[in-house]
Amino acid sequence: MSDNHYGFEEEEFHTSLNSSTLLRILGQLRPHWQMALGFIVTVGMVAFTEAFMTRLGAMVIDEAILANNRDRLIDIMAVYAATYVVLAVCVYIFIALAGKLGQRVTYDLRKQMFNHLQDLSLRYYNKTAVGWIMSRVNSDSERIADLVSWGLLDVTWAVMNMTAAFAFMLSINWQLTLVVLPIVPVLLYIANWFKKRILVHYREARRYNSKITGSYNEMITGVRVIKALNREDSALAEFGVNTRLMYTSSYKAAWYSALFLPSIYMTSALAVGAVMIVGGIQIENAVTTGMTIGGVNAFIGYITFMMWPVQDLARVYAEMQHAIASAERAFSLIDAQPDIVNREQAQELGTIEGQIVFDNVTFFYDDNKDVLENFNLTINVGETIALVGATGSGKSTIVNLLCRFYEPCEGSILINGRDYREYTLQSLHSKLGIVLQTPHLFRGTIADNIRYGRLEATRAEIEEAAKLAGAHEFIKTFEKGYDEEVGESGVLLSTGQKQLISLARAILAKPELFIMDEATSSVDTLTEDLIQRGMEAVMRGRTSIVIAHRLSTIKSADRIIVLERGKIIEQGSHRELILQRGHYYNLYTKQFRKEREQRYEQALQDTLA
Amino acid sequence: MPLHPDIATTASNFDVKATLADNRLLSLWRLLKGYRPHYIGANVMLALAALFNTLSLLLLMVFVDDVLVKQPEGWFSLLLLVAGAFIALSIGRGVFSFWSGKLAAESSEGVAVRLKDYLFDHIQHLTFAYHDKMPTGELIQRVTSDIDAIRRFYAEQAIGVGRILILFVVNLVALLALDWQLGLLSVLVVPIVLVMSLFFFRKVSEAYDKFQEQDGVLSATLQENLSGVRVVKAFARQDFERERFERENHKKFELGKIFMMMHASYWPIVDVLTGFQVVFGYTIGALFVMDGKLTIGTFVTYMAMLGWIINPMREMGRLIVQMSTGLVSFDRVAQIVREDWEDLAKDKPAPIPALTGNIAFKHVWFEYEAGKPVLEDITFEARAGQTVALLGSTGSGKTTLLALLTRFYDYTRGSITLDGIELRDYPRYFLRDQIGIVQQEPFLFSRSIRDNIAYSLNRDVSEEEIVAAAKLAAVHDVIMEFPEGYDTVVGERGVTLSGGQKQRVALARTLLKNPPILILDDATSSVDTQTESEIREALQAMMGARTTFVIAHRIQSVMNADLILVMDKGRIVQRGTHEELMRVDGMYRRTYDMQARIESELEQELSRVG
Repeated sequence: MSDNHYGFEEEEFHTSLNSSTLLRILGQLRPHWQMALGFIVTVGMVAFTEAFMTRLGAMVIDEAILANNRDRLIDIMAVYAATYVVLAVCVYIFIALAGKLGQRVTYDLRKQMFNHLQDLSLRYYNKTAVGWIMSRVNSDSERIADLVSWGLLDVTWAVMNMTAAFAFMLSINWQLTLVVLPIVPVLLYIANWFKKRILVHYREARRYNSKITGSYNEMITGVRVIKALNREDSALAEFGVNTRLMYTSSYKAAWYSALFLPSIYMTSALAVGAVMIVGGIQIENAVTTGMTIGGVNAFIGYITFMMWPVQDLARVYAEMQHAIASAERAFSLIDAQPDIVNREQAQELGTIEGQIVFDNVTFFYDDNKDVLENFNLTINVGETIALVGATGSGKSTIVNLLCRFYEPCEGSILINGRDYREYTLQSLHSKLGIVLQTPHLFRGTIADNIRYGRLEATRAEIEEAAKLAGAHEFIKTFEKGYDEEVGESGVLLSTGQKQLISLARAILAKPELFIMDEATSSVDTLTEDLIQRGMEAVMRGRTSIVIAHRLSTIKSADRIIVLERGKIIEQGSHRELILQRGHYYNLYTKQFRKEREQRYEQALQDTLA
Repeated sequence: MPLHPDIATTASNFDVKATLADNRLLSLWRLLKGYRPHYIGANVMLALAALFNTLSLLLLMVFVDDVLVKQPEGWFSLLLLVAGAFIALSIGRGVFSFWSGKLAAESSEGVAVRLKDYLFDHIQHLTFAYHDKMPTGELIQRVTSDIDAIRRFYAEQAIGVGRILILFVVNLVALLALDWQLGLLSVLVVPIVLVMSLFFFRKVSEAYDKFQEQDGVLSATLQENLSGVRVVKAFARQDFERERFERENHKKFELGKIFMMMHASYWPIVDVLTGFQVVFGYTIGALFVMDGKLTIGTFVTYMAMLGWIINPMREMGRLIVQMSTGLVSFDRVAQIVREDWEDLAKDKPAPIPALTGNIAFKHVWFEYEAGKPVLEDITFEARAGQTVALLGSTGSGKTTLLALLTRFYDYTRGSITLDGIELRDYPRYFLRDQIGIVQQEPFLFSRSIRDNIAYSLNRDVSEEEIVAAAKLAAVHDVIMEFPEGYDTVVGERGVTLSGGQKQRVALARTLLKNPPILILDDATSSVDTQTESEIREALQAMMGARTTFVIAHRIQSVMNADLILVMDKGRIVQRGTHEELMRVDGMYRRTYDMQARIESELEQELSRVG
C-alpha cells in the first residue's frame, strides 16, 4: 500500500480554475439535460417573479393608494396572489428538479467509478490507498453533483436576479438606474476581496484540524506509553500548539465572514441614500421626470434585492473551486487505465491439460527492484506445489502472476503451451479457486459467501462443498446455520472458521487450479485439522499451489519450492530436502519446534482446564 | 488585521467536569464560562443591529411622508438629512452585526479549543481500565465531530434562534406601534408557519437519517469490494459486484429523491401561505391608507417590515432540530468528561527520593470486574538487583501482575511494598518515573527514531546517550542502515519497522531512562534468537544494580533468573530457581520436558526421513 495518503492529512486544493475540468463537470448533465434546462428555466422565473412583485408593490402605491382607486387595488392584489402561486409552482419544480438531478449525478458518478474500479488491475490497488479511493467515490462525487445542481442553480438565480432587477429599474426610470449601476462592480469587488481571505484562513483551519485529529489518534493509541513515561504534560503542550493555530485560523475566517455581510449592506446603503436623494429630486420635478413614490420605493427594494446574489456568488465560487479539485481527482480515477486487459483476439482458455510454465520471468512492482529475476518453474497437471520462504522471498508474487493479477515484465507464463496473455482474463479466472491468507468474507449469510464460488449453485451443492471443506459442522452449530449473517451484524467468526468458509467457496467453484495462501496466525488444533482435511480433499488430483506455513501441508506436497529473494534455492520432496540439510532443513526444524510447542502448550492447558 | 484575542482560560485552569449539570442547557451555559460576556454581548449586538434595521425602515416613513409628500420648506436639506440618517443607521447596523458575529466566533471558537485541549488532557489521564474497553474510533469520533457540533450549537444554532426571535419581537413591536390592528392582522400566519416548520424539519431530519444510513451501507459495500479485490478478481465476479453496488446505489438515489421531494413540497406551501398573508396585509394596509387611517409613508414602511417578521420564521424549525442534534453531541462528550482521572499526584512528594528496588507482594488480589479475580493471592519477594522471571501461558496474569507495580491498575486486596513502603503511598508519577516497562507490542510515535528514543526523558537528551541506549538494545546498526539514520521517521508517514526492530527501539527508549526497576514484558519476542542473546548479555552486564522482571515463554530466557514464578490462571503455582524447580514435578519441569521432548521428537522425525 502506498504511503502517500495518510488518513488524517487534508488534501491541498487547487487554486486555479481549470476550464476543461469545468466543462467535463458540466458534461455530467448531458444525459439529463431536460432536467437541467427545467430547473434553469424555473429558477429564472423565480428571480423574475420576485422582481415583478417589487414592481407590483410600486403599482399598489401609485395606481391604487395614491390614485385612491379601490378597484385597481383589488386587481393588483389578484395579480399579486396569482404571482405568488406561480412563484410557488416554480419553486416546487426547481427544488424537485435540482434535487433529483443532484442525486442522479451522484448516482451516475458513483456507478461509473465503481464499475471502472472493477476493471482496474492490482497494480492500481497496490499504489492507491483504499481510503483515497473511498473519498473519491463518497465525497468527490457529491461535490461535483452539488456543483452541477445547486451551484448551477445559484449562479442562474444570481444572474437572473440581477438582470430582472435592472430590467424593472430601467422600465421605471433610466436615470435613477444609472445612479444604482456603479454599485454592482463595487459589490463584486468586495465579495471577491472577502472570498479570498475567508478561503485562505478556512483552508488553513482545515489543515490544522487534520493535524489535531491525527494527534488525538496518536495519543489514544499510544496512551499507555505516554502514561508509562509520564509524558502527559509535554503531550498536551504539543497538542496545544495546533489547537491554538487552528483557533487563530478559524477565528480569522469567522472574523472576515462577520465583516463580509455588513460590508455588503453598508455599501448598498450608500446606493439607497443616493436613490433617496436623486429620487427625491425627481419627485420634486415629477411632471418632467414621471417619477413616483412607488417608483422610488421599488428602487430601494431592488437594491436590497441585489445584495443576496452578490453574497451568494462568493460562496458559489469557493464551492466551484472545491468541486474542480474534487473532479480532477475523481476523473483521474475514472481515467486510470487498467494495465491488464484482454488482448485483441484473446481466446477462451479450455481445460488446463498441459503444464504451467514460468519461462524466464522477470517481475518488479513499481519501485523497479526486481522481485523475480529470470524465474523458471514448471508445474505439472495434478501436481501440488508448496512454496516456502521468508517474507519478501517472492511467494506471493508468483501467485499474483499465476492468477494474472499482474503480468510478467519480461518472459512469459505458458498454459497449455501458449502465453497466457493470449487467453481471456475471465476464462483464466473461472478456472481458479483461491483461499487467501486473511480470508475475505462479504456481508451476507454464510451460504451467500460460499455461493460466491459458483453463483448458480444449489443449496445442496453449497452444503456439499461445506462438508468437503469441513465447515459444515461448525456452521450447523449456529442458530440460523447457513443463513447466519457474517460480520458486524452477525456472528463473529474466527480466522480459522473464515478460512474453512473460503475453502468451501473455492471447492464450490470446482477449480482446475487451486491456490491457497495459508494463514500464519495460529488456529486451534481442531480447526487446523479440519482445514488440513479440507485442503487434501480439494487438492486431490488437482493442480495446486500453496504458500505453505504448516508442516503438514508442506510435507504432503508433491514438490517443495524453497525461495529466497526471488530465486529458487532448493526444490524437491520433503525427504530429499531434509537429507540435503540446507535451508529447508533449518526452516523445517524451526517450524517443527514452534508448532509442537503450541500444540503441547494447548494440550497442557486442556488437561489443566 | 483582525485582533487575536487570547483564549479566556486554558485547559489547565478550566475544569470542564465542574461545569456539568443535570440540565444540558445549563451545562452548556456554564461551559461558556469566561465567554459569557462575549456571548451575551453577541446577542445584545444582534438586538441592536435589528433595532437599527427597524429604525432605518421607520425612516422610510419620514422620507415618504415628510419629504416626498409634504415637500415642506427647506425640503432638500431635510432630504439630505434623511438620506444621511439612513446611511448612518445602516452603518450602525453593520457595525453591530459585525461585532455580534465577531463575539459569537470568539466565544464559540474559544469554547471549542478549550474543550479540545481539555479532552486531550482528560483522555490521557483516564484510567487504563477505561482505555481497555473504549474503542479508539469511538473516542476520535467524539472529540472531533461532536466537539464541532457543540461549536456549531453556539456559533450557529443558539445564536440563530436568538436572531429570529429578536427580529420578530423588534419588528412586531414597531408594527404594533404603527397600527396595532394591522400589526395583529399581519402575523396570523406566523404560528402556522412556525408549527409547520417544526413539523417539517423533524420529518426531514428523519428522512435524512435514513438517507445517511443508506450512504453508510453504500460506503461499506464499496470498502468491502475494495478490500476483497483479489477475491472478486479470482472468481471473476465483477458483474456480480456491479449489480450488488447498483442495488445499494439505486436505493440511496431513491431515498435522496424522497428527501428532496419533501423540501420541494415544504417551501412552496410556506411560500403560498406567507404570500397570502402578504397580499392580505397589503390590501388591509392600502385600504387603511385610503380611509385616511394610515399615511402612505407608514404603508411603505409596513411593506418593508412585513418580510422581516415572517420570513425568518420559516427557518426556525431547522435550527431547533439542529439544536437537538447538538445536544446529543454534548451528551456524548459529557459522558467522557464524567469519567474519573487517574490521580498522578504530581504535587505529592515521594516518600523516598529514589527506589532501591526491594519489592514484596503479600496476598495480593486483583480483579477488573467484581467477582472475577485476575490475580489471586500473589505473594513473593524480590530483593534489589535480583532478576525475577514470570513464566506461564497467555492469560495467566503475568502482564497484569507487573502492571500493578506502576499502578496502571490498583490491587484490590493484600499489600505490595516497595522499599518497605506501601505501593499506594507512592504517587503514580514517581512510580512511572522509577520503573521502566517494555511492552510486547510496543507503540512508537510517528516521528523520528531519535525522538522516539528520547521520548522517555523529559529533558534534552544528548546524541551520545541516545546512541548508547540504541547500542544496548542492539538496534544501532539497524538504524544506521537507514539513509537518514536516527532522523528516519517511523510509522504512517515514514518507514515501517519490523516487529523485532520496533521492540528494540522501544527497549532503547526505556533503557535511556535507566530506571532502578525494569520490566521486560516479552519484550524481545519478535527479535531473532541471535540478537536476543546479544541483548540478554548486554542487559545482564547492566542488570546488576537494578531489579528486573522478565516475562517469557521459553525456558532459556528465564533459567538464569534469581527467582522464577510459574503462573497459571492468576495464581503462582510454582516458585524457585531453575535448579529448584527442576527437582520437583510441576508445570516448570513439564514445560522444560516438553521443550526437551520436542527436540527428541524432531530427532526422530528427521531420522525417519534419513
